[in-house]
Amino acid sequence: MADKLNLGPLKSVRVDALVVLKICKHASSSHPQIVTGQLLGMDVEGELQITNSFPFPSTEAPVSDEKDAASGAAAAPRAKANTYYQTEMVRCLREMNVDANSVGWYQSASLGNFLNTNFVENQFFYQSSLNERTVALVHDTARSTTGALSLRAFRLTPQFMAAHKEGKFTVESLQKHNLTYRDILTELPLTIHNSHLLTNLLHQLDNPAPAPLTSLSFSTPMPLAPNFDALDLSIDPFLEKNCDLLLEAIETHYSEVNNQQYYNRQLAREQAKITAWQAKRKSENQLRASAKQPLLPEDEWQRLFKLPQEPSRLETLLNSKQIEQYSKQIDAFTASVSAKMFAVNQGLPRTEE
Amino acid sequence: MADQGSYLHLARPLPTVPVPHQHATTAPLNVTIHTQALFSILDHSLRRNMDQDRVIGTLLGVRSDDGTEVEIRNCFGVGHNESQEQVEVDMEYHKTMLGLHLKANPREVLVGWYATSPELNTFSALIQNFYASNGEGTFPHPAVHLTISTNPGEDIQIKTYISSAVGVNPDRIADSCLFVPVPHEIRYAESEKSGLELIAGAKNNEDRSTPVMTDIGALEKAVEDVLGMLERVSNYVSNVIKGDAPASTAIGKFLMNTLSLAPKVNAADVERMFNSHIQDVLMVSYLANTIRTQIDLSGRLATYNFSPKDPLAVAPTVASK
Repeated sequence: MADKLNLGPLKSVRVDALVVLKICKHASSSHPQIVTGQLLGMDVEGELQITNSFPFPSTEAPVSDEKDAASGAAAAPRAKANTYYQTEMVRCLREMNVDANSVGWYQSASLGNFLNTNFVENQFFYQSSLNERTVALVHDTARSTTGALSLRAFRLTPQFMAAHKEGKFTVESLQKHNLTYRDILTELPLTIHNSHLLTNLLHQLDNPAPAPLTSLSFSTPMPLAPNFDALDLSIDPFLEKNCDLLLEAIETHYSEVNNQQYYNRQLAREQAKITAWQAKRKSENQLRASAKQPLLPEDEWQRLFKLPQEPSRLETLLNSKQIEQYSKQIDAFTASVSAKMFAVNQGLPRTEE
Repeated sequence: MADQGSYLHLARPLPTVPVPHQHATTAPLNVTIHTQALFSILDHSLRRNMDQDRVIGTLLGVRSDDGTEVEIRNCFGVGHNESQEQVEVDMEYHKTMLGLHLKANPREVLVGWYATSPELNTFSALIQNFYASNGEGTFPHPAVHLTISTNPGEDIQIKTYISSAVGVNPDRIADSCLFVPVPHEIRYAESEKSGLELIAGAKNNEDRSTPVMTDIGALEKAVEDVLGMLERVSNYVSNVIKGDAPASTAIGKFLMNTLSLAPKVNAADVERMFNSHIQDVLMVSYLANTIRTQIDLSGRLATYNFSPKDPLAVAPTVASK
């Protein structure tokens, strides 16, 4: 492992076509629920080649805890119950000559809503304990059905890893690590790779034996028919959904800010109390000194008063990142949709009144 | 196709008494193969051991209620050893793997097996009978056998079969069966379309890989595709008019149908709809960007160090957004 560390950071990710399809299938089969799975492959000089994957079963969460049930699949990569399944699967795949090194995990998302504590915890778990050179692939099911495939590879930045290792996200530690919400994740460029055999198959599927013209029909699309989903002109559902998500994120942000303010007020109040107490003690001691009595200790306030716990800034950080993500998504959407709309507006044949 | 291999594997001598053997139904069925399973098989075939001619594996999928439609959705490889006189399949492995797969995909069931050579021989029959057997196999439904030829430099041939028992003598029943070819089609799910499109986009590249496209890139590609198609159709039409190409009624009808789909709309209506929608879009985009700036500002203010050491060094650069 030691020689691997000298190779420098991971530069890019190469995903095999098989993995792309496996993730697509797994993600869509239980959409809109989040699914996760394991990625297998190897690291070749800074390029992480992902050649196989397998889904994690969604763990049956204890019935008593409703919140756990929702996050059952999301937490699966870290779940103890999955360890057996994982090792067994990896062992079996190794027998079939699959590259049986864990190189990360994947998760499905809907409109980019994957930035939460679970995601960060999972990736932290992978990056810190198993093998440092791991990535998280995020497949956006909702966006992939309305246009280009959305598959992105992420890693946590070293700053964030350092801050997370300390386990607290106070204002002070953020300043120390110079961490803003922009520095949580780095995205790696991702390419898709086909094997020779697959290229062969694709060429064959693309040039099928010409069907007799009389039996042509619209209803049965050929494999690899061109995909025109990107030309779809449905605007409102996408914007509506995005606005909803954005509003939700703002609400979270607002409540986090409130928490922080509450903490600040509480802190100020406690500190005021402490100064008052210290002043009182001081004057008392002056009196005692003039009366030649033994002095009272002046650092007793540490026992008497308890400073409030500073709330973690992690949630705020992630939420800010999430909001940035939504805005960028809307930006990209605006760019393509306005082009489409102008094109349609020009192209429609019109009747004069 | 039928002349390339023989589907019938009989062990002599032919008996005269009917064999009392229960066998799965052999009603015709349609097989749908999902691209993922195919990709998986090809990958397995690439990873076979040097001395192996073919690899085999288990097919998983769903079966319609009446058993006439089978969808092959998933598969996994199973180790096996073949020599002149015997074949060994790692049954333990098959069972473990099946269990693991069913855990993650509870809806999929065992539907059959695949081999990566187009050849059907006695061993095929033996394995087929195992997969179709009562208990661990697919009984009472027929097991689907899929062969795929993966010889380099040749076309990839995909064939699907089911089997039926043939009357041979009882000691050879295990390794005899009649492979009946059944039709199959290759299909992909709606959700895989964009992924598959991207994968197919790499097929003409020298390095067999392609970067992930952005939304705008996808739009550009789609527009280019449409332009190319229009070009092709108009070329064809002008050729027909000139008399260079044979006319086809079917194509003519399709073109008529397609052209009649173009809507006729009122100019004022279009203008109104267009304006209201574009305003919506731009407004949302504007607001989203404002929110982003605000959040950025809020984040910076929250963690900003108010000690008066060097206020300009970390001055927020929000305005440039």
